[in-house]
Amino acid sequence: MAHIELRGVSKAFGAAQALRDVSLDIADGQFFVLLGETGAGKTTTLRLIAGLERPSAGQVLIDGQDVTGWGAAERDVALVLQQYSLYPRYTVRQNLEFPLKSPIRSIPAAEIAERIAKVAGTLRIEHLLDRKTDKLSGGEMQRVSIGRAIVRTPKVFLMDEPLSALDAKLRETLRVELKDLQMNLGETFLFVTHDQIEAMSMGDRIGVLNKGAVAQVGTPHQIYNDPVNTFVARAVGTPAMNLLPGTLQGGRAVLGAGLTFAHPGGPGAEARALIFGVRPEDLHLEPGAATEAQVTDIENHGVEKIVTLSAGGQILRATVPVTMRVARQEQVRLDWNAARVALFDAVSGRSLRHGG
Amino acid sequence: MTQIELRNIHKRFGPVHVINDVNLTVADREFVVFLGQSGCGKTTTLRAIAGLETIDSGEILIGGVPVQDTRPESRDIAFVFQSFALYPHLTVYENMAFPLRAVGTPKQQIDQTVRRVAAVLQIAGLLGRRPSALSGGDLQRVAIGRALVRNPKAILMDEPIGSLDAKLREEMRVELKRLHVEQGSTTIYVTHDQIEAMALADRIVVMHAGVLQQVGTPEAVYANPVNLFVAQFVGSPVMNVADVVVSGADGAARVTLPGAAEGFVFPAALIDQLGAAGRPLTLGIRPEALEVALAPAEGFIAAEAHIIEPLGSHDIIDLQLGSGMIRARTRSGFAPGPGTPVWVRADPGRAHFFDAGNGNSLGIRL
Repeated sequence: MAHIELRGVSKAFGAAQALRDVSLDIADGQFFVLLGETGAGKTTTLRLIAGLERPSAGQVLIDGQDVTGWGAAERDVALVLQQYSLYPRYTVRQNLEFPLKSPIRSIPAAEIAERIAKVAGTLRIEHLLDRKTDKLSGGEMQRVSIGRAIVRTPKVFLMDEPLSALDAKLRETLRVELKDLQMNLGETFLFVTHDQIEAMSMGDRIGVLNKGAVAQVGTPHQIYNDPVNTFVARAVGTPAMNLLPGTLQGGRAVLGAGLTFAHPGGPGAEARALIFGVRPEDLHLEPGAATEAQVTDIENHGVEKIVTLSAGGQILRATVPVTMRVARQEQVRLDWNAARVALFDAVSGRSLRHGG
Repeated sequence: MTQIELRNIHKRFGPVHVINDVNLTVADREFVVFLGQSGCGKTTTLRAIAGLETIDSGEILIGGVPVQDTRPESRDIAFVFQSFALYPHLTVYENMAFPLRAVGTPKQQIDQTVRRVAAVLQIAGLLGRRPSALSGGDLQRVAIGRALVRNPKAILMDEPIGSLDAKLREEMRVELKRLHVEQGSTTIYVTHDQIEAMALADRIVVMHAGVLQQVGTPEAVYANPVNLFVAQFVGSPVMNVADVVVSGADGAARVTLPGAAEGFVFPAALIDQLGAAGRPLTLGIRPEALEVALAPAEGFIAAEAHIIEPLGSHDIIDLQLGSGMIRARTRSGFAPGPGTPVWVRADPGRAHFFDAGNGNSLGIRL
């Protein structure tokens, strides 16, 4: 059980500024996901909390206690990595026992056996306990790695892209299992990923990192529906949100020659350069709609189709039901769901709702 | 005209039968995607077509000419790998010019070709840079550009965007498709990512354990998978599968999951189509083919919402039904939270039935 806080943390590696003034507040028992691209600083953040790196400035607090100067072993955190570092010549049971047999914590043999039985049950690896780890599949190995983190009942679980080396089907299964595990344990999880689906589906809250700085922290719902800027807008959702430069003129969004939609506007939105953010599911292909577009590509994903459209010099992507009949090169009529369109300042990229 | 034909290809690595009697014709200008897990034989097949791997028996024809005994360089095929393999000391321009210089192309023609291909790939502004100054996506564009300058008969790609970030992968996917539409080269593309396969392919070839499982358009493979492997490999979230018992009562069929109090309601025609075989059955139903309601309704059965995954445009809900979980797709914010009682119905028109023994689809359509 732990509450984690980062206060104004910066970290430089030589001339490279990996983190800039990062402040995060992760509540006890929360599943918190840090989402960012390669090099955004998410792994560095994790390593700072684990005590594997020292910040150049700022403080790290666990349960209100300043642990900035503490070593990794003193912090009582467990780290699960993408590369499972199991001992290959040991059985699963021996791997799970290992963290409990450390000389600084003497735990009675009966309790060790009990804890391992419990963890193995939780992760459904009971049948693997006496197998050598080099005989396991990728998913089984990752379960054992997680098991090794759980047995010592640490205060905090830190996970660095634990699912990204697995194939898609397994990733999906383990995604649900991890969320389930966290709900049952009620512990604080900090999970790092570049995969927005993992972030959206597992996180109670998501922190979006951009080039070492926190762009936004919020629930998946807030991040998806009310992004603070165009960076966050494109960080979640697939296909990505359409970002269309244009202006508001007399109740209409003007996005290009012949590409206009009704829009009620908002305070301070008229007579300035804007970017209109519209999610692919909020663009509708409807006979009789006012705007015309040409279909340039169709991806059939089985559950829905992703249609790429060209209109007024802009490229738009829309998701449509798989049953809709549409062909490449076809002219279609297009409308949008104005209530769900986000407005951003064209220069700063900031949402008008967030002071842009 | 570059048609590629594989006839009865076999290949063994020691005791492992990596390619097991593969037959396939890739039409001129077609984009075919080999889809499968690591170790399924897809890369070995691709390398065999390129001539980088020998085959034990069978024939490979490119443009109607058997090539299985010819050297890779005489097959006139371009290959793009996941690792970019660019020369670090050469500029982007020189990297792309390299294959043309190697065959003694006149300087002026090299210049024209490199600039034309660079424009298509939108890397014209990068020609003077070295690879170390490029992003991952640009590196892969250069690698593809280097493959295209030779104007090869066909392009083979082995997970070319597999090492890129998710977002960049999505952008590159769209570009690869645009490139194919513009250039029209016959393309074979290998991936383990079913989303890439669905998005790019004219036809998908699903491979497993060295054997072609199914060849078809993305729509066909998604809507009519021939067996459980294909059914669960294509589509995300994966198709729910469960061993079921089918019974008949009151002019309808009931399809009951293990431990469930009630079965899904199906038309009585299901029982006729199943016949008297009485073999063990597996039901396959995709998350979007499950309809979820917050109140009891005719034809719906009781379940309980467990984990809810909000994906922004929609939610995926785990439903506890009997002793197992099934996953359903709902609109965003539909179920308030874990523990919510819900009612669920399976759309008979989108249900699949498989022989539980061998996993083959029974081809039942309701």
